[in-house]
Order: sequence, then C-alpha cells, then structure tokens
Amino acid sequence: MSERADRIEAAFAHVFHPSMVSAREGEQEVRVCAATTCAGSGAGAVRDAFRDELTRRGLQQEWRVVETGCRGSCDQGPIVSVEPAGVFYPRVSPASVPRIVAETLVGGRPVEDLLYRHPDTGRPVARAADVPFLLGQRRLVLALAGRIDPASIDDAIAHERYRAFVEALIADEPDDVIDAVEESGLRTRVGDPGSVGSRWRRALDGTHDERFVVCTADEGDPGAFADRTVLESDPHAVIEGMLLAAFAIGARHGVVRVRRDHAAAGERLRGALVECRERGLLGRDILGAGLSFDIEIDAAERMLVCADETALIASLEGRRAVPRIRPPAPTEAGFRGRPTVVSDAVAYAAVPWIVRNGAAAYAAAGLHEHTGTRVFSLSGQVRNGGVVEVPAGTSLRRVVEDIGGGARPGRRLKAVQIGGPLGVCLPATALEAPIDDLAAGSSSLVVLDDRTCMVDLARHLLSISQREGCGTCVPCRLGTKRSLEILERIVDGRGRDGDMELLAELGTYCSQGTLCVLGGNASNPVLGTLRDFADEYEAHITERRCPAGVCRALITYSIDPEACTGCTLCAQRCPAAVISGREGQPHVIDVSGCTKCDICRQVCPDGAVRVRSGVSQAVAPGTA
Amino acid sequence: MLGILKALRTTVSHLPRKPLTVQYPEVREELPERSRGLFKVVVDVTTEEARCRACTLCETNCPVQVIRVDYRNKYDLPAVDQAALARDRLAEQGAVDLSPLRPIIDGHLESGTGLNAVLQRVQDAYGYLPRAALQQLSLETGTSLSQIYGTASFSDRFRLAPPAAHIISVCRGTTCYAAGAPLVAQALREALGIDADGTTADGFVTLQSVDCLGVCGPAPVVRVDDRVHVAMTPERAHALVQELRVAEGVT
Ligand code: SF4
Ligand code: SF4
Ligand code: SF4
Ligand code: SF4
Ligand code: FES
Ligand code: FES
Repeated sequence: MSERADRIEAAFAHVFHPSMVSAREGEQEVRVCAATTCAGSGAGAVRDAFRDELTRRGLQQEWRVVETGCRGSCDQGPIVSVEPAGVFYPRVSPASVPRIVAETLVGGRPVEDLLYRHPDTGRPVARAADVPFLLGQRRLVLALAGRIDPASIDDAIAHERYRAFVEALIADEPDDVIDAVEESGLRTRVGDPGSVGSRWRRALDGTHDERFVVCTADEGDPGAFADRTVLESDPHAVIEGMLLAAFAIGARHGVVRVRRDHAAAGERLRGALVECRERGLLGRDILGAGLSFDIEIDAAERMLVCADETALIASLEGRRAVPRIRPPAPTEAGFRGRPTVVSDAVAYAAVPWIVRNGAAAYAAAGLHEHTGTRVFSLSGQVRNGGVVEVPAGTSLRRVVEDIGGGARPGRRLKAVQIGGPLGVCLPATALEAPIDDLAAGSSSLVVLDDRTCMVDLARHLLSISQREGCGTCVPCRLGTKRSLEILERIVDGRGRDGDMELLAELGTYCSQGTLCVLGGNASNPVLGTLRDFADEYEAHITERRCPAGVCRALITYSIDPEACTGCTLCAQRCPAAVISGREGQPHVIDVSGCTKCDICRQVCPDGAVRVRSGVSQAVAPGTA
Repeated sequence: MLGILKALRTTVSHLPRKPLTVQYPEVREELPERSRGLFKVVVDVTTEEARCRACTLCETNCPVQVIRVDYRNKYDLPAVDQAALARDRLAEQGAVDLSPLRPIIDGHLESGTGLNAVLQRVQDAYGYLPRAALQQLSLETGTSLSQIYGTASFSDRFRLAPPAAHIISVCRGTTCYAAGAPLVAQALREALGIDADGTTADGFVTLQSVDCLGVCGPAPVVRVDDRVHVAMTPERAHALVQELRVAEGVT
C-alpha cells in the first residue's frame, strides 16, 4: 500500500469510535422508527415504553432500544422491529409494549395478534422481509434507512458509510468517480432531469477554479417526501455523496437547501454536519488528503419554482426565485457565478453505493433497458403509503397494487398522479407503464380513487402551478391564470361549449415558449385529464353534473328512505340544520339550505346519505 | 401615412449628425478611471416620451444602488413625498422592537447564510416581517431594500402583516386534497365566519392554506399553531374552532 493510502486509512481510523456504535449487526435490539410520520403517530411514547419496560425487567443491558429513520411503511406507524430475528410490528401502541417484551424479546416468539396482516390472505406476517410492502422493493439508496441510528456517525461508519469516499481519496482519480457516476445512468430530478455524471463533467470544463456542489431537498410539490426521508434516515449518505462530488469536480463549498417545515430532517443533517466537522470529515484538508470541503444548510419554505435549477440558485443567493435564460447552464455559471452541480438528495445518496459497487451493478438494478432504482413517496387513497424504492422500469401497477396494497377497502382505484402539479395523471387502465422517466421531476406518487373528480383535480393541480409561477413569462403567467379561470367555471357549473378545446389550446401554448419547467409542464395535468377523462369534462359542461360527486355546485345530497334507520345523528350534526325527521323515521334533507359539507354522509352509521351527481331543478347551477 | 412621414423626417434630420452611440462591445469609449458617468433616460423622438417604462429593474439591479425611479411623471401621477411615504409606511405597523434582530443579523454577517433563511428567522421572531426590521436589515447588511422586499414578497409563506393570536393552516397539497381537504377548509371557513383565507373580524384566528406539510400519510392535515392534527373531517374542523374559542374565552 502506498504511503498516501496508509495516511488516509490511519486518519479515517481515527474518525471512527467503535465504542459509540449503538447497534451492531446481530446484536439484540429493538428498532423504533422515529422519523416524521411515525413520530406523528406516537413513536416517542412507544420508545419510552420499551425503555421503561426493559428497565423494569432489568434487561436494559441485553437489549438496546434504537431510534431509527424511516422504514418506508409510514402509514402503518409507529413501526417497531425486534432484531436480529427481524420480527416486524406495525401500529405499535405503548399498551402493547409489555407483551412484545414478554413474548418476543424474552420468549423469542412473535405476538401473533400484533403482527402485520397480509392484505389479501389476512394471515399474519412475522418477518419484515416478508411484508408485501417491502417485498417488491430494491433498497439501494435507502439500504440503511430504518436500520441505523441516523443521529450517530459511528453507526453509519460501522455500516460502511464513508468507505467509498475513503477509497476514492486513496485511488486519487477524480475522473474515475465521474466515469462511474456517468456510466451508472444516475439521474437527478432537478431542472431538466438528466444524467448526474455528465453534469459533473461539464462543471469541470469551466475556467473558474471555484466550483459548488448544491443539493436540494426542497421538494416543492405536494406529496413528495423522498428527499426528506433520506436526510432524516441516513444523512451521512447525502454528505458522502456530496463529498464524492466535491472530490470529483474539485469543489470547496456545498449548500443543501432543506425545507423549513421538515424540521427533523434539517436537525438531523445539522447534527451530522457537526459530527463530520468534529471528526475531520468536513473542513480543511480532509483526512490529510488535501481536499477541503464544507457544507452549509439553507432552510427556506418550499417553492415549486425551485424545481428549476437557476431559480433554486437565485433563491440560495438571496434573491427572488426567478429562473433565468440558459445558456449559461449552472454547470458553467451557477451559484455565485461559478460552475455548480445541482442534484436532489436522493441522487447524492446513491453516489456512494455506485462508487463502491460499480456503475454496472447500479445500472443492472433496473429492469430491462432501465437503469438503477427510483425512490417514490407513495401516498393518497392507498392502503400502505410510505417511501418506496423500486428498480427503474417497474410497472406502476406493481408499485400501487403489490407494494401499496391497492385502493382502500370498498373503493376503486381511479388514477395515479405522479410528479405533482408538473407531472401527469394516469388512469387506472394505464398502470402498466414502467416507472422511469415518468414524472422524472418529482418523487410524489398520489393514488386517487373513485371519490376524486378529475376535472377538479386538474383545477387543483393547476392552481398550485398558477400560484407558484414566478411571473416572468407571459404564456405561463397569463396562460395558467386563464386556464384556471376556465376550470373554475366548469367545476362551478358554469362551463361553456368549447371550453375543452380552449383549455387544450391554451395548455399547448402555455407549454411552449416558457423559460422553465414550471411553465413548460404546468398544463400537463390539464392536457392529460382532457385526453383520458374527456367524459367527465363533458358531464360537467353539458350535463351539469359531477360524476364523482365532488364539485359542490353539481351534486345533491339526499337520504335513502330505505336505508335510513332514523337515528337522528345527521340531523344533530348538520351545521346548516336542514335535516328533519322524527326518531325512527326516515330523515329528509332540505336541499335548498344544504351547504354540501358532507358531514351527514360521514356520520351516518347506515350509509343512508347519498350524493347524487347533478342538481335538482330547484337549485340553479352555481348558486349552491 | 402621416406617421411614416414623421418618422422619415426624423431619420433625415439625424443623417448629417455625428452618431451618439458606439458599436459596443467592439468599440468602447475611453472613460476616465472610476467614471460614474451620468444617467440619462432615452427619449423617444417620435412620441417625445421617455422610453423608460418605470419597471424599476435598473433600480433593483444597480450594484451601488444609486438609481431611484420616480414614476409619477411617466404616468402623470400626483407628486409623492417619498420621505413622508416611508414614514407613514413605518407608522402603519406601529413601533417595532428591533432588539430581536440583533442576533439574526450578527449570525447572518458571520456565516453569510442565504437571505431566505434570515427572513425566515425574522418571521419566527416577530410572527411576520415588520417593515422597520427589513429596513434595518438592509441598512446593516448592505443588501438593498428592494431585493429584501422582493424576496419577502415573492412567496406567500412570508407574512408582511402581523397574524392573529392563532394560526390555523390547512394543507392544500394533493394527498390531502384527495382525502377531502377542501371540505375541511370549507368547514373551517364556515366555523370562523370568513369567506377566504385571512383573519377573522375579531382578529382571533388567521386561516391560511399551505402546500403540503410533509406528513401526507394520514391526510387531510391541519395545523393549529404548532400542533398538527391528522385525518381531519369537516366535523372535527368545527369542533377544533369551538375548542379554540372555549380555550380563549371568545364566544
Ligand atoms: S415558466 Fe413560469 S415559473 Fe418559469 S420562469 Fe416563466 S413565468 Fe416563471
Ligand atoms: S351536507 Fe352538510 S349541510 Fe348538507 S345536509 Fe348534510 S350535513 Fe347538512
Ligand atoms: S344518520 Fe343516517 S340513519 Fe341516521 S337519521 Fe341520518 S340518514 Fe338516517
Ligand atoms: S426603470 Fe426599467 S425601463 Fe426604466 S430605465 Fe430602469 S430598467 Fe429601464
Ligand atoms: S416514518 Fe416510520 S416508517 Fe416512515
Ligand atoms: S399533501 Fe397534505 S401534508 Fe402533504
């Protein structure tokens, strides 16, 4: 081994404090997910209950309670697993903790009635590895999420974090790193989604010797939380990815944009950065190898327009987040006018894996001609939402039905909205489409069921883009506004003949001649729904009814006298007090005063409240 | 026809004159070192109107902040007493204690973190972005007020007026939308007696819509001050407002 290698290895050995590792492979531990969603469903109390129960039984020496990052099946939280057996418990409450301790920790057998139940067979599933949600996944980027304590750098190092970086430093061939990233086909979701490696290479071409590495976890579109999950669950993966980028392109400064509402992710990252600085993994002359690099955090509220790199850079520089004309591309003149590489947190987190395992291995993780994996945040009207990582090229159906468990009981899958307001809505019949470049710009995957009106959904999505556009380009500024007005009048029952054609025309113009991805893609949901759900538009415009029973101006509430048992519940709860009827007798709604708040339908124990598509003659469209 | 003739006359009258412009960037004028030159707004000879459309871009972008666009002539507006205006604007919001600003500005000067983060901290400290605080920020950091104000007004996440005692945020993200957030928002508006986002007449609650709180699983999500309520229904929305009123003794 060369002298350089020895020196770096020795310095790295110094970084690692094995005694601080809270969890070793094969050791007895209880892993409690402490990430945002689980924390929201009470993971903190569950953790305390485990600690108390173990102390009470004097077992705190043998069993450790580890707070991990997100395991991915967030809707089932709080998630607990008992290692090394890998017994998986969803929806754990503090009350069930003593039983888990008694039977699983001490007795070594699962508590059957607390186990996850297979959605199809209803049979309990004991091991995490067999839970269908995790079965269809291929977790490379998220490999350590949910397995390590994200607040401990030693845990991360014990799981080989920073190994790729150390090896790259020893090899001292920045070009090889770029080659590997380029060949792996790794893509980023920011800006014009494209190859990460080729951006790195382009950044090298510049004449400036100062370069920047920018990471964004802004996820400006609703329903996206993949970057947050990575930062929260394995922050060192992102830092290592950025270190490798810095090494490859010779940058000294990095910036991470985090969303302010994602306080936990910001805190985790901040803590991880402090630890890295203390241990000499960030700062001057890292590991004595001559590379100096540090990362700063920029927390801001989410902004959809920051999906464009130049807008993001403007915002990082403290200006209005307004995109600018390219060229020059950010790789030529980005942050502070210097060559800058911009990627999302998920992409950076994939870099260490690629450098360690080789470009070919990453590329081969995809199906057919697709390369690598894709990380999605699955949410909406689906049984098991969470963060999933699947081979690129996996069909949407697999993700939604096998991993997500399909629509909620009693509902029918209607469409899938991918990529947020700038993405697309695919009808349930088109779910064979492979996940790859679909919605390349965002991680959000929202499942919609039969209670979603596609016209109103288009209005909803467009209203977000309209609000968030920066206003520079006329087609975007006026086009989205006018389209939105048309959609608003359609859902309000004032649609006119020709509106559909007008929308299509406006949408097409709007997607041409704009400066950034926002204006370019804002009309996607409108154009897509116009194509795939034309009948719903027609029902709204010509028949003045909303088939899904959503648009308030186009529906009527009524009570089915056959089904109503006269329990009076709805009459008690109706805020408009328009339900009448005697106890034990079928109740009636006076539609003229009904505000369509949906409370009666939600409270009726017998499902007797019906929502009819269309309005009765008594109520003129648009007045309700 | 008349227009064309007029234009022709202008062209002809210019022919014998020496050109005023040089072919920048091929030819460059020799300027004395540190010349600041003089600004002159080009006047359109045909209409005799200034070509400046008072867009204020130059004012915003001038690196040394020496441009002031006074647009009253252009649009024939009554003369404005800028100083008085600034005073009034400040007075509008009452006196503001600037001491909480100290650590924020010091931290900013030290680390040079982004303006967004600074504004965020100012909003955390005051609940909104007071005009006086922004002016102070501009004075001390040397960032022009128009840039600060531009960034602050760019996103509706920054509040430029003080909020009410309680803030209710309803998520309008797609996941929440699909789970019935519009019904919840409607119920909140009904319960609060307001038509749109904003503050109730008694200044008790500010209702605002936010795009995704990032806890999309158990949608719809509503945040009351700092507490997040998940799986909301219209009915619980009414109850929530009621609870707030009871807690505050407001009826
Ligand atoms: S397309 Fe829209 S958001 Fe993008 S630069 Fe133009 S106006 Fe701004
Ligand atoms: S929808 Fe609301 S207002 Fe209408 S009848 Fe039902 S509870 Fe009353
Ligand atoms: S809640 Fe349902 S069953 Fe009870 S009175 Fe109303 S409609 Fe009838
Ligand atoms: S205000 Fe606008 S139009 Fe007028 S001189 Fe300045 S930049 Fe030009
Ligand atoms: S937050 Fe716990 S599994 Fe995702
Ligand atoms: S969409 Fe409401 S929290 Fe994400």
